[in-house]
Amino acid sequence: MKRRAVLIGGAALALVGLAPARAAAPDPVSGKLSIWLGYGETAPTYRLALPAFKEMYPNIEVEILTFDLHEYEAKLAVAVPTGNGPDLLTLHDYIFPHYFENESLDAVPADLAAVVNDPRIVDPVFAKIASREGKPWGIPWWKGGRALFYNLDHFKEAGLSGPPKTLKEMWDYAEKLTKRAPDGTLTRAGITLRLTEGSGGLQKFSDMYYAVTGVQVLEPGPKPGTVRVTLKDNLDAGAQLLLDYVEHLHGPKKVDDWALKHDAQGFANGAASMLMREDWVVAFVRKNGPDTHFATAPVPRDKAWGNFNFIEILSVNKDSKVKKPAWDFIRLLQEQKYLDNVLQESGWVPLRLDRDFSAFLGKNPEYKAFLEPTPGYTPWIEAPDTAYVEVTSRTGDVILAAYRDASLLNNPEGAKKVLLKAQDVAVAILKNAGIYAP
Amino acid sequence: MSGAPPQLASPLPSAPVARWRRAWTGMRRNHIGFVLCALGPIMALFVLIRIYPIVETVRLSFYNYNITQRRNPFVGFANYIRLFDDDPFRTALLNTIGYTALTVVVTLLLALAIAILLRSIERAAPVFELLFYVPMVIPWVPAAVIWKWIYDPAYGALNYMLSGLGIPKLGWLQEPHLILYAIVMVSVWKLVGYFVVIYGVGLRSIPEELLEAADLDGATAWKKLRYVVLPLLRPIILFTVITCTIICFNVFAPVYVLTASSQGAPAYDFKVVVGEIYQNGFVFYHMGYAGSQCVVVLLFVMSLLVVQFLAFREK
Repeated sequence: MKRRAVLIGGAALALVGLAPARAAAPDPVSGKLSIWLGYGETAPTYRLALPAFKEMYPNIEVEILTFDLHEYEAKLAVAVPTGNGPDLLTLHDYIFPHYFENESLDAVPADLAAVVNDPRIVDPVFAKIASREGKPWGIPWWKGGRALFYNLDHFKEAGLSGPPKTLKEMWDYAEKLTKRAPDGTLTRAGITLRLTEGSGGLQKFSDMYYAVTGVQVLEPGPKPGTVRVTLKDNLDAGAQLLLDYVEHLHGPKKVDDWALKHDAQGFANGAASMLMREDWVVAFVRKNGPDTHFATAPVPRDKAWGNFNFIEILSVNKDSKVKKPAWDFIRLLQEQKYLDNVLQESGWVPLRLDRDFSAFLGKNPEYKAFLEPTPGYTPWIEAPDTAYVEVTSRTGDVILAAYRDASLLNNPEGAKKVLLKAQDVAVAILKNAGIYAP
Repeated sequence: MSGAPPQLASPLPSAPVARWRRAWTGMRRNHIGFVLCALGPIMALFVLIRIYPIVETVRLSFYNYNITQRRNPFVGFANYIRLFDDDPFRTALLNTIGYTALTVVVTLLLALAIAILLRSIERAAPVFELLFYVPMVIPWVPAAVIWKWIYDPAYGALNYMLSGLGIPKLGWLQEPHLILYAIVMVSVWKLVGYFVVIYGVGLRSIPEELLEAADLDGATAWKKLRYVVLPLLRPIILFTVITCTIICFNVFAPVYVLTASSQGAPAYDFKVVVGEIYQNGFVFYHMGYAGSQCVVVLLFVMSLLVVQFLAFREK
């Protein structure tokens, strides 16, 4: 019996895989381990791991600071190159290249590198993002993915039995779900589209652009860190998509309006019937629209089928004085308990394929589209580049300005001109940053 | 009985003391030296926190300086040349000029009109001046947040009031042709009280005898304003025009708060120069390029101020 228990314990440890040497004597090393977070909703998980970490390093003080995402990125950008900043770096995929290019990252220990390189544990799509020169420079920890949120009551009221499966169905459904006041003004959007803020606008346009072309607007170039702009190569399909947007923002098929409440807030308060957004919206709608009955589904397909993802990568600052404790903290965060917690607290999905989150899904069916594997559904991630924010903001500005232009209705040549302008803007920025791939 | 003569206290001060006294006397005679000494510490602080950042900004504008990169090469005038092709910067500059012109004219005319009206109720004037001044002490961010609610197309107070007049709901912050006026309205509300006080002080300093003399000469109210009040207010007007222009050209917080597309509250992306500088410097991290924008804006505003000074100076 005792032997069997030991065997089960051993198997459990093997499953955990990366549990740090918790049974070993406490390490007397002292100092301060600093952790900064741009996604404050994950802070409870770091705090949950503190007692276990303290057992290993009783003399190390852990400081966890959370910031607004943009403020976090700005602080990190200033602090790390000067040899300051946090010890444990939480890097989103699009800022990761900054820190790799500037040689700010500590080499990943062999055991953690083996985990990242194992396709049974981490999806190679995400492992590749955190790797350079054939080896990982961080541990992909969680992902945010896009899915279609739809209001069950609105769908029932419109006689729609399930979510749209294709882009065409999505526009058709949106038209059926849209509601108007007697004077013709929209009171409910069939789908709340992203109509403002260049960077986010381009991201959401890219969701559908990927479906109609099979590529992103900004694709990774052949050399890591370089970026290719694909608008010119897919001009007809891209222009048709832009025309679809314009057609559904002006004229009789209008399904959304700038004056309506938008985004997650609009969806939560019933001002919109559909929304394409990431995991965090589940918790947001539960909190801000408790009466809204909703479900999630994969993003509708066209020529291609897949969804946008972004990931958080855990790395250690090369200038840190507590590198080993920082890596041990990262090892701790790989344990099931903390992965469950980050999912529960934030809604972000842990990137460990070898872990089971079915119990969570059973209690939280709204996460279906984010947690349940869908055959044929391809996760894709934006091209990480050092000019990410600038190129997406400025290119997105061009596209968003076109949404307002009613003269583009049934005007394919006009739509093509817009996309060519967006192409030129993106190319100029990428060239200026030295990362343009023709 | 001969002994050493008693030591007399030295009639002359020791050499260092004498030097200090001479220096002090000289300094008192030399007023400039005294002023320099008295203001020296303040001047040093001013140079440190005002002049040095400007000089450093000018220096950075000649570099491809990115705060996240270790290699920041000298690029000469490349940043300035790039400005000519920068559509967002051009748009921001034109928007800012339009906003500044409109806000300065409306604010100062309104403030002058209110100040003149308040002169007719001299005893109650301070109370009204105080009321008009209240928005000035509210920081920009909460003020802009309040206005964002007022402008809300669905639930905002402004559209609700206008609906009483039969005017349909307007997207004040969403429509490109309305947003300028929406931001100007907020700015006028915020700034007018300050200039009412300034004009009030100016009007009180006009000698009563001059206005009485004009009355005796049979001058109408308009003629008194045109030929007595406005000429005497010229220095005050110069001050207010310059101050208001500088405040308006630096507009950022209200535009940022009113147009930030936070969750569910999308607004038109109204670009202003300080916003562009902020975005290039602190979002895209192009400090060198943002520096060149700062220099261009500085030169532009200074030229504008010179023109205003020449237009309003005493003849």
